[in-house]
Amino acid sequence: MSVKAEDAFQEFWRLNVSKVGVLFLAILVILSIYVVTSYPLDFGVRYWNNPSYWADYPKSAPPSWVNYFSDRKLPEHYVFSLDKPSNILPTESGKVLLYTFKLDFQADKPPTFLSFTLENVTYYSQPLIVKLDVKRPDEKSIELYRFVVPAPYLNESPPYRRFYDQPKRISLTGDMTVASTLARFLLREYNVSMKPSEINSIGQHTVIFSVPNQNKQFNVLKGEYWFTLSIETYDNRDYVGRVKLVVGGDVYGFMGTDSLGRDLSIGLLFGFPIALFIGIVTSTITTLFGAGLGIVSGYIGGRLDEVIQRTADFVNNIPLLPLLIFLAFILGQNIWVLVFLLVAFGWPTLTIVVRSMVLQLKSGQFIEAAIALGAPRWWIMFKHIFPQVAPFIFAQLIFFTPTFILLEAALSFLGLGDPTIPTWGQILEYGFRSGGIYVGLWWWIIPPGLLIIWTAVTFVLIALGMEPVVNPRLRRMK
Amino acid sequence: MGLARTLTMRAITLIAVLILVVFFMVIILGATGTSDKILQAMVNEEVMMLRQSLAKTIKDPQELERVINIRRQELMEFYGLTKPWYIRLPDMAWRVLTLDLGKARTLKTFAGGNKVSDIVMERLANTIILVTSSTVISAVIGLILGVRIATRVGGILDRISSYFSAISYAIPTWWIGIILILVFAFFFRLFPFGGLYSTPPPTDPFMRFLDMLWHAVLPVTTLTIASVGVWIYTTRTIVLNTAQEDFVNAARARGLPEELVRNRYIIRVAAPPILTNVILGLATSISGAILTETVFNWPGLGRLFYDSILVMDEVVVIALTYIFTLVYVVARFLLEVLYVILDPRVRY
Repeated sequence: MSVKAEDAFQEFWRLNVSKVGVLFLAILVILSIYVVTSYPLDFGVRYWNNPSYWADYPKSAPPSWVNYFSDRKLPEHYVFSLDKPSNILPTESGKVLLYTFKLDFQADKPPTFLSFTLENVTYYSQPLIVKLDVKRPDEKSIELYRFVVPAPYLNESPPYRRFYDQPKRISLTGDMTVASTLARFLLREYNVSMKPSEINSIGQHTVIFSVPNQNKQFNVLKGEYWFTLSIETYDNRDYVGRVKLVVGGDVYGFMGTDSLGRDLSIGLLFGFPIALFIGIVTSTITTLFGAGLGIVSGYIGGRLDEVIQRTADFVNNIPLLPLLIFLAFILGQNIWVLVFLLVAFGWPTLTIVVRSMVLQLKSGQFIEAAIALGAPRWWIMFKHIFPQVAPFIFAQLIFFTPTFILLEAALSFLGLGDPTIPTWGQILEYGFRSGGIYVGLWWWIIPPGLLIIWTAVTFVLIALGMEPVVNPRLRRMK
Repeated sequence: MGLARTLTMRAITLIAVLILVVFFMVIILGATGTSDKILQAMVNEEVMMLRQSLAKTIKDPQELERVINIRRQELMEFYGLTKPWYIRLPDMAWRVLTLDLGKARTLKTFAGGNKVSDIVMERLANTIILVTSSTVISAVIGLILGVRIATRVGGILDRISSYFSAISYAIPTWWIGIILILVFAFFFRLFPFGGLYSTPPPTDPFMRFLDMLWHAVLPVTTLTIASVGVWIYTTRTIVLNTAQEDFVNAARARGLPEELVRNRYIIRVAAPPILTNVILGLATSISGAILTETVFNWPGLGRLFYDSILVMDEVVVIALTYIFTLVYVVARFLLEVLYVILDPRVRY
């Protein structure tokens, strides 16, 4: 029964399933380490479940590579961010900070929105004046927006700090002043008369990025757009931390976004360590607990054995998911509660099997010898029995892991996941609850499921590879 | 005599499981204070009704308050709210066992009632239809393919089926459902997205039945895909083991026709262990049903579970946990009866 570790490994490595399984596991572990070292601990609360963080992202956008498969190119999502002005012009009383953004726009559809953001603004004398202009590929210029940073409050003394806690986001889309500006622009340049409310309903961004005909139909104008944000300052110490311009697209990134605009690639990456953690930690605790009880139950015997076996029978005989739902619902949705529940209901199978193995070992001569030498019971269980069943226990640990990963995903899918920690199951749950499958947002629905399967398959493959090691009978049969 | 005794023993064990689960639930409910909340809601409900009926006869507001307060005290006494939760345990357990849990907060029956037991019971049939039909289909496919594969071990079909059964262990059932919706309901528009009937449902009973079948195709397929792999694989393995027994060789040596050997010597003997596997897989089918119903908006107990979690209706969650355990226990007992019929050795 006992196998030398080296031989066991060779036996394991002989099979292709083992090699594939170990390769998959290595990828999972590397990705998890990357996430653990690069993501903040409160990622779920601070970023993922914080809608304002995702305000500048396109909603329900497919991955950008879909453009390779279609003739009609959808606009990409552009975020321009500058910490330093591109140019500084001196004036009599101070200077003008110029931030210039160049956009080479080649899509067949106008962007979905347009906004800019100011962060960390400090001024000393007069409030800063912010202006946004655009020069289009047809050399026409529009002054889009003008905005004054809030004036000092009563009793406030310089420096006046603005937009430090909450960046100031100004959306040109939906802004009626911008709509009026554009109405004048259309009348002046194209002799097209439109009411600001009409412009608002087709979208300010559409007008900026296209040329109208007399039937008020807008055709996309491709080419280079130059956006200039000029900030007029009145003191040399005046300071602007960051300026951002967002041109909303219809496609985003490698994995697309969900209906809140969250970048799915970020959320899916975060799922790796969580899935591994839940799978491995739960499985390890369950296996150790179950096997420990099995050894004790089998070796000590008597009334203790009876109690443990009856309890195991009982827990084994109840339908797991309904009770798990009940407990997760009543006790609250917390990852530690979940791990505890999975352990509390996962141990019996192993206890029953290990006990029957121990019963066979118990009558062995090496145990008799140990007893005769006066070894205490815990010593015999730990030193003589445990090593005998250890390979089997280890194989079970691997074998159980996917079960727990899938159970966690199932509970998350039912809305019982820990809301502070995004998991693949939760991403799917939100995609389902908010109707993503009914409108065919496949990039939101397919990847999390595939990742769950991939992780589970990894452990299934390793378990398959370990089978001949643990169960030598299979080896001879082949 | 032996048969009745065996079955009675099984029945007693299973009933004990049911009662223990209910007690376990009630202890959790009591310790977390949830049972107080539920009983308090029942008291408030009655007090409200009383206030409405008394307001017509008693005009003096102070007098009204006094009468209502006396009644409230009586009700608190009656529901045991004046006693600590562990004294009320048997009472609360009886409430769960008889589904006497008052009214759901927001969920309703199809007709609009809000009594918990009505809400739960009217959906029971839909769940049973779904689980039973998918189990029967997987069983038929599994038995036919499993036996066939067992005669050609190592063939392509054998390898495909063993990989498929290993992979199906790693695929969440509900995700298969989602993918089926995406492919067959969204892209190809062949089947509905979910539900039991079209809206409005056809009036002709036969058309209505066809409409339900059309709605059932995807959920039943989902559950079948999830379980058929295990069926095929266990059938194959057990049949294979039986086929290597001496009595099978002896039968062949006597020159019995192959078909007779297969049906009477192999399959007949392999049947009880195959059934044991079905019994062990029962809990998994129930979990699969909960999630599949949720995905397909199939108005059974599983979908109700999801809805009650969404709107935080704890009495319905409690009732459902109990009903699922009950369904499990009953189904399990029926399978055990079948087992006893199949395997004469258990009877004596």
